[in-house]
Amino acid sequence: MTHCLHIFICLCLIVIQTTVMPYIPLFERFYDLLTPFIIYLSIFRSVRESMVVIFIFGFFMDIISGGPFGLYLTAYVWLFIGVRRAITFLHVGDSLLLPFVVAAGVLMENLIFIGTSAMFEQSSRISEAVVSTIIVQVLWALFTGPLFLMFFNYSHRRWDRWSKEIFVKKN
Amino acid sequence: MVMIIGVIVLIAVNIILLSIFNRRYISYYRPGRIAISLIAPFQKASTSSIRFVRDIWRHYFFVVNVAKENDNYQKALNKAFENNIQLKEFKLSNSRLRNLLNFEKTITNRVLSAEVIGKDPSPWFKTVLIDKGKNDGVESGMAVVVPKGIAGQVTDVSANYSKVLLIIDHNSAVDALVQNDRARGIIKGGMAEQCLFKYVLRKHDIEIGDIVVSSGLDGVFPKGLAVGYVSAVIKPKSGIFQEVTVTPYVDFEKLEEVLIVLNPKKKEFEPEQ
Repeated sequence: MTHCLHIFICLCLIVIQTTVMPYIPLFERFYDLLTPFIIYLSIFRSVRESMVVIFIFGFFMDIISGGPFGLYLTAYVWLFIGVRRAITFLHVGDSLLLPFVVAAGVLMENLIFIGTSAMFEQSSRISEAVVSTIIVQVLWALFTGPLFLMFFNYSHRRWDRWSKEIFVKKN
Repeated sequence: MVMIIGVIVLIAVNIILLSIFNRRYISYYRPGRIAISLIAPFQKASTSSIRFVRDIWRHYFFVVNVAKENDNYQKALNKAFENNIQLKEFKLSNSRLRNLLNFEKTITNRVLSAEVIGKDPSPWFKTVLIDKGKNDGVESGMAVVVPKGIAGQVTDVSANYSKVLLIIDHNSAVDALVQNDRARGIIKGGMAEQCLFKYVLRKHDIEIGDIVVSSGLDGVFPKGLAVGYVSAVIKPKSGIFQEVTVTPYVDFEKLEEVLIVLNPKKKEFEPEQ
C-alpha cells in the first residue's frame, strides 16, 4: 500500500517537472522535485521502503533524461546514503535544519551531475551560467524544500490513517 | 576503517559503471520501453490539458480576434522566414554549382509532425519527448526540424514515443557552414541555449549576424536548413581555430510541435545474375 503512495507521488512529481514547470517562467531553473522526496524517505522512512522507490524512479529518470544512464540512480543513492548518515549525528527532524538539508541535497545532486560531465567530457568547463543555475536551485531549495517535506509527511500520515481504517473495516 | 574502504570501493564501482554506460549508449531495451510507456501517457495528458486551458484563455477569453490574427501572422512570418533562408541558400548554390555541373536538386524529404509532450527533468541535459514512435515510422537518428530551423535528432524510439536530443545539448553535433563565407565547422551545444561553432579555421572572416546552415555532410540533416546566426566571434592570437558562438533560430523554451524528417526509402538493387 505504501509503495502505491510513493509511486503515485513520484509519478506526479515527474509529470509536473517535465510538463508544467518548463512553461512557467519563474520555475525554469527549479531543482529536481524528486530530491526533497528522496530526502524525506531517508529521514522519515525505512531503508527497505525507500530503496524500492529510489531504484525504480532513478531508473525512470535516467530513461527520460539525456544524461548518461545511471546518473540519476547514482545521485539518488548517494543522496539517500548521505542524508541517512547525517541524521545519525544531526537532529534533522528539527524543522530549523530542514531547509539546509534540502539545499545541501540539491547542491550534492548538482555536483554529481557536473562532476560526471567534467569527468567524461574534456572540453567541459564551469561557466557563469552553471554557477548561477546552481545558486538559483539552492536558493529555491532553501525556501521551498521544507514545504515539500511537510507536504510529504502530512500526506503519508493521512494515507496511513486511511489505510488503517480500511483494514479495520475489512476485519 | 572497513566502512571507509567500503565507501571508496562503492564510489569506484559507481564511476566505472557510469563510464561504461556513458561510452556505450543504452537504447530503449525492454524495461526502458516499459518505463517510457508508463510515464509518457501521463506527460501527454498533462501537456494536452495545459495547452487546452491555455488555448481557451488565449483564443476565447483574451481578445479573441487579436490572438487569432497574431497566430496567422506568426505562421506567415515563420513561413516567410523559412522561405527566405531557403531561397538565399538556393540562390547561392545555384550560382556556384548548378550552372557548372548541370544537376538538378530532386531531394524531397517526407516529414511527420509530432507534438512535444515532455522536457528533460534536468537543466543540464536538453532532450524532449515527442508523441511519435516506431509505429509511426520514426527511427533513431532521424532529423527533427521546425519551420525556423534545425531542432535536434531522434536518439531513442519506443513504440509510440521518441526522445529527441536538441542541438543545444552538449552531446549534440551538427555539421554546418556559414552561408556567405562557406566556412565549415561543427555545431555543438553550449550553455544558456547557445551553440558553439567548433573547428572553424581562423582564415575565415566570420561576422556577427552571419547565418549558419546545415551542410548535409553528416548524413542526418538535409543541406541548407537554418541553424542560427553568429552572435560572437573570438579570434585567438594563436591556434588554428576561432571560437564562434551561434544563437539558434529555434526558441527551445517554446518548442511545442516539431517535424521529423523521414528518410527516403533506400532503393534496393537486384543482384546481378
